[in-house]
Amino acid sequence: MTDVHAQPTGSTGPSSTGPSTNSGAGRVLVAVYGIFALAATARASVQLLTRFDEAPLAYLLSAVAGLVYIIATITLARGTRASRRLALVAIIIELVGVVTVGTLSVLDPEAFPRATVWSIYGIGYGFVPLVLPILGLAWLWHTRPVND
Amino acid sequence: MIDALAYSVVALAGVAVIWGILTAIVNKPPGKAQLLYAAGLEAVTVVQSIIAAAKIIGGFRPVELATTIGYLIGIVILIPIAWFWANVERNRFSGVVLAVAALAVFAMTLRLLMLWTPAG
Repeated sequence: MTDVHAQPTGSTGPSSTGPSTNSGAGRVLVAVYGIFALAATARASVQLLTRFDEAPLAYLLSAVAGLVYIIATITLARGTRASRRLALVAIIIELVGVVTVGTLSVLDPEAFPRATVWSIYGIGYGFVPLVLPILGLAWLWHTRPVND
Repeated sequence: MIDALAYSVVALAGVAVIWGILTAIVNKPPGKAQLLYAAGLEAVTVVQSIIAAAKIIGGFRPVELATTIGYLIGIVILIPIAWFWANVERNRFSGVVLAVAALAVFAMTLRLLMLWTPAG
């Protein structure tokens, strides 16, 4: 695959800030994050509103997952320097979240009687929730500013 | 919901996924036909959601009512957003963006078919 983010050689001016997170393949990443923002938030809302008492921990974590996906989607889509930092924080929380919830849901199913987007490393979503933060971090690295 | 219509959405969405990936492979932005096709997929999806909503208003109660309503709404907003997002920067990745949205429509419609059983 050709690198669409290659900077013109010997360029001056704005290009020294490096490629944006919302360009090229980044647009696909934002699209996938957007879908997970929608899915996780909608799922958490339904769970919290209709049967919060069944599994409060799992449902609150669903809501956290939804919020993290929303922040990652918006910050990656904006693609500014400030938003990159926020995206990094959100994606690290996402990675920690999916690994922690995934592991806990395997080791202690009692704590997660109801599925969340991160249960068993996101098995209900084709394990995309496990791969997504890794792709997100790789993309932030790939698009890192040249002089930071 | 009408099964035949839902399966039409699934089939149309499946073709949209493949089409989006193919334009990415040949390194082209989505052409006019592909964008019109996405609009057609959206139209059929909207019709399906409206029919399903009418049936729910008419008294049908699926097992997971809130989830079903969420899916019926969510499914109609994906393609328009992806359309916009794919057209802001037109290149091979525009096709992948459309494919991702169509894949979500594909999966959500299959899930809706499973959810669409009467409660009780």
